[in-house]
Amino acid sequence: MRTYVPTPEWIVLDWHHACVAAGLLCIQRCSGCGRWRHPPRRFCPTCQSDGASFEPVTGSGSVLSFAVSHRSLDPGWQALAPYATLLIELDEGPRLLAATTSPLGEIEIGQRFVVRTEALSENFVLVWADPATGPRNDTVDITSERQPS
Amino acid sequence: MDNDLWGTTAIVGVGETDYVRGSDRHVCDLILDAAMEAITDAGLKPADINGIIPPPGYMSTEEIAAHLGVPDVAYHVSVLMGGASPTASLQTAAMAIAGGLADNVLVCMGWNGYSALRPKPDARPTKRVMNLGPMGETVRNHYAPYGLMSAAQHYSLYLRRYVETFDIAEDAAAAVAIACRNHAQQNSKAVMRGTPLSRADYDAAPFIAEPLRKFDCCVETDCATAVVMTSLERARDLVHSPVVYLGGAEGHPEPADEIANRANLLELGIHRAAPRAFARAGVSPHDIDVLEIYDCFTYVVLLQLEALGYAEPGGAPAFVADGNIELGGRFPVNTHGGLLSQGHCWGLNHVVEASRQLRGTADAQVADAELALVTGYGDLGDGSIAILGRDR
Repeated sequence: MRTYVPTPEWIVLDWHHACVAAGLLCIQRCSGCGRWRHPPRRFCPTCQSDGASFEPVTGSGSVLSFAVSHRSLDPGWQALAPYATLLIELDEGPRLLAATTSPLGEIEIGQRFVVRTEALSENFVLVWADPATGPRNDTVDITSERQPS
Repeated sequence: MDNDLWGTTAIVGVGETDYVRGSDRHVCDLILDAAMEAITDAGLKPADINGIIPPPGYMSTEEIAAHLGVPDVAYHVSVLMGGASPTASLQTAAMAIAGGLADNVLVCMGWNGYSALRPKPDARPTKRVMNLGPMGETVRNHYAPYGLMSAAQHYSLYLRRYVETFDIAEDAAAAVAIACRNHAQQNSKAVMRGTPLSRADYDAAPFIAEPLRKFDCCVETDCATAVVMTSLERARDLVHSPVVYLGGAEGHPEPADEIANRANLLELGIHRAAPRAFARAGVSPHDIDVLEIYDCFTYVVLLQLEALGYAEPGGAPAFVADGNIELGGRFPVNTHGGLLSQGHCWGLNHVVEASRQLRGTADAQVADAELALVTGYGDLGDGSIAILGRDR
């Protein structure tokens, strides 16, 4: 269905290799302060340590936002339009995009999802999110941005 | 604020090609046409130019200088902030002039924004491309594999958040699309002149990426624009009354190279640039007579108006209603038609229009316009601002 599969380089490639090897979603974790971070970064933005490893995460997360695309430049995605792309906040903290099997109209900000990976090549995994049971996560609800910045 | 930078330089020449969807002209010809027009408009010759800020891609300073006949480039720099680049370039040009690195600086932009994807059958082919800069890696690796290739799709990640946070009505941005289209009817070069947009047309248009419908998106265009800046002192001896660069700023979200992991998805570069720009220019938002706001998408205009202080967060839909942003309203926005309806020249067309407003020669002239504000917006949320005024 998808016609575009990238071959990343550098530390993004290291991340995909870790996910392929583990068969599940791994996320970069600082060996200095223990904080999770994504996308992969060379130095920890908090403690500046350059020690880090890719470790498995629980896969549980919540919808922070989502895009609903009615057009796509990619023929594979265009055939599926309209389709949703989720912005998931993992329970560990980092956020990432995920494709989803959830029907349009049933997706809500704060809704709980569980993510899994699909290896599209030995150098690239696609992240999928499936609806999970359980109460919605109000910590990603729409209150934080009500404060004027 | 005491300094030798803000208020000491001016725009003295402007140039622009036609805005078209499908050009017979090579992209390099477009850029050079606009550059030569701006130099001539200033009453200068290419040999007077010794600073160049080229477009983000397409053509280098070295080529531009050689084709125009600029013999001695003393300073050049490339600014890579996507659509925020041209307006951010003004502050760099001002720094070069105030710092004595260059006397007369050419800032130019041009591209084949329509023809790159849909060339006319007989068009001369080109391998010239934009410099995708910092957003290329993120889009290639993290967004495009999930079906998010276009800017409308990337920005919809935070526009969804905006709409749900503040219960923004589905038609909140219609007034922006219609004001720009109305203004384009008066602009001699606007690509959408002669094609009015009714509220029924707007409502009937399909979604591209929610909440963006077709007429919330700007028009892909082939075009080029250019401006020439010099010191205010020299400007007073040139052809036109100087358009003074009173202050400007740029800002970047954190992190700037991707959207998902920002602490607040709705805090963009312009939120950081706005207080800097107003402080440098020594003016407040309500002093401004005309607003040229980067309008790649209508909802991005709403976010910027809030960042600039024209409305509280979530309040921009009320600000743009009731004719407030139309010509004749309190804060006319995009008097040339903007990217939405004049054409997409990365916001340097907004600088050209603001300059004409302050000269008093715009096609849709705001009466007695003395202060204009221009914004740029690009990549994944970088922002830039220029505050321009008449010479006192």
